[in-house]
Amino acid sequence: MSQRPSYAVGTGLFIVLGFAALGYLATQTTSVVNQSRGPSYIVEAHFANIGQLKERAPVKVAGVRIGQVQSIVLDPTRETADVKLAIDQRYDKIPDNSVATIFTSGLLGDQYIGVQYGNSKKTLADGGTIALTRPAQQLEEMLGKFFGAGGVADNLSGSYRVRARFTNIGALSVGAPVKMAGVAIGSVQSVQADPVKLDAEVTLSIDKRYSQIPDDSAAAVFTSGLIGTQYVAIQPGGSPDMLKDGDEMVLTQSALQIEDLIGKFLVSGSSADKKGAEPDNAGKH
Amino acid sequence: MSASMKAGSENIVLRSLEQIGNCGLFLLRMLAAVPQSMRFYRETVRQLWFVGAMSLIIIMVCGLFVGMVLGLQLYDVLSIFGGTSATGTVVAIAIYRELGPVVTALLFAGRAGTSVTAEIGLMRATDQIAAMEMMAVDPIAYVAVPRFLAGMIAMPLLSCVFCALGIFGGHLVGVTWLGIDNGTFWSNMTATVEVVKDVINGVVWKSLVFGIVVSLIAVFQGYTTPPTSEGVAYATTRTVVASSIAILALDFVLTAFLM
Repeated sequence: MSQRPSYAVGTGLFIVLGFAALGYLATQTTSVVNQSRGPSYIVEAHFANIGQLKERAPVKVAGVRIGQVQSIVLDPTRETADVKLAIDQRYDKIPDNSVATIFTSGLLGDQYIGVQYGNSKKTLADGGTIALTRPAQQLEEMLGKFFGAGGVADNLSGSYRVRARFTNIGALSVGAPVKMAGVAIGSVQSVQADPVKLDAEVTLSIDKRYSQIPDDSAAAVFTSGLIGTQYVAIQPGGSPDMLKDGDEMVLTQSALQIEDLIGKFLVSGSSADKKGAEPDNAGKH
Repeated sequence: MSASMKAGSENIVLRSLEQIGNCGLFLLRMLAAVPQSMRFYRETVRQLWFVGAMSLIIIMVCGLFVGMVLGLQLYDVLSIFGGTSATGTVVAIAIYRELGPVVTALLFAGRAGTSVTAEIGLMRATDQIAAMEMMAVDPIAYVAVPRFLAGMIAMPLLSCVFCALGIFGGHLVGVTWLGIDNGTFWSNMTATVEVVKDVINGVVWKSLVFGIVVSLIAVFQGYTTPPTSEGVAYATTRTVVASSIAILALDFVLTAFLM
């Protein structure tokens, strides 16, 4: 009994090895690594919109991590998000009029808070507030600003129909919005291929409120965003006569395929170069 | 013909239900015998050496190769999207959440479960268990419980070793061989992998449950085997088959619960 069995040491080694592996997994390969260990102080910031910001997201100055997001709570009275930032103690010279902005790392990356230093002599202390903030920019909003996307208008006051012919409608589908100046004024009623003229006949159902559209207006198939759905945009003309129910829009612009678009861009760039070069050549000859 | 087949299939259903019921009752008997078996804790240590420490080599080698092949495959696929820097993240998550506990449990059933079944089965066939009863030693407390406890303790530890070696294998292929940046590999991994969700829920809890199930099946099959050489052979086979099915089915259930 007093003699130690030979396997006991091996078993002990096995158990130690197993726990060492667990400790390694838990501390070296997980987000525990990123948690700041040193002493930190808490600063508050209020954002109108935090986007996808999560707790423990990094806080950076000039791209260098100085702390992390400790908590995110909604202030119900003011409809703002109260974000508490835990900033490492050694970064205690942050001016109190610095600006906190929510950034996205890369196009699809996680979000973090970037702090740009202000010029104030006073520095932020524990429990202080960063008064100047900029909310997260939503990709949808940014694209919306570019392309003026909006909801489809409701058809409360009845609608009238006009037809338009396109040589190519791209991925336009029934129900797609019809927009003028970026505002939805109706929807696509039907899409049919014309067996004789070999083009697409699209019936647009436009709200009666918008009855003052000149009959020489142009209809174009646009895409909302880079990969968004397609819609019909109406560009008003200058004719004194207005579109009526059953009219046909003569001026149309077909859908641009992204391939065509890129192709045009590339080809037109190179052909323009050639055009520019030709007169030179002609002059030399 | 069809009637006899129907009777046969009914028989199979009834027999498997009976097996599951007996298995559950056996688990209760073992749990009741746990305090008594504390007297034989040295036997538990010996079994821990046998099912745990002796399985280390196969677990480590397999973990290394699983990590390496994951690194290779993911690098190949992710390079299509220009996302090879995510290799470390995906290797870690795949190993922690699924491959680590499941492959370890399958290996454990093949390496340790079968030998436990065969050992207890031969004890039964050579009347050693009957002899223990004659000597007023409870065979459940002396034979079954130490092996069950040892399997339960060994599985999570083996699983952790497997995962660590898997990460090392992924690092070996991704960073050393294919040239992903070392810092990117680790920082992407540490940015995404979480302690509770991936390591504790994924590795520890899952492998603990697998350890309990595999050890229970192995001990039960050995203990209830018919005392013939054919019976021992069948019991060993059944251990592997039943363990594998139980591991994969429970993996789904546990994942659904722990997500």
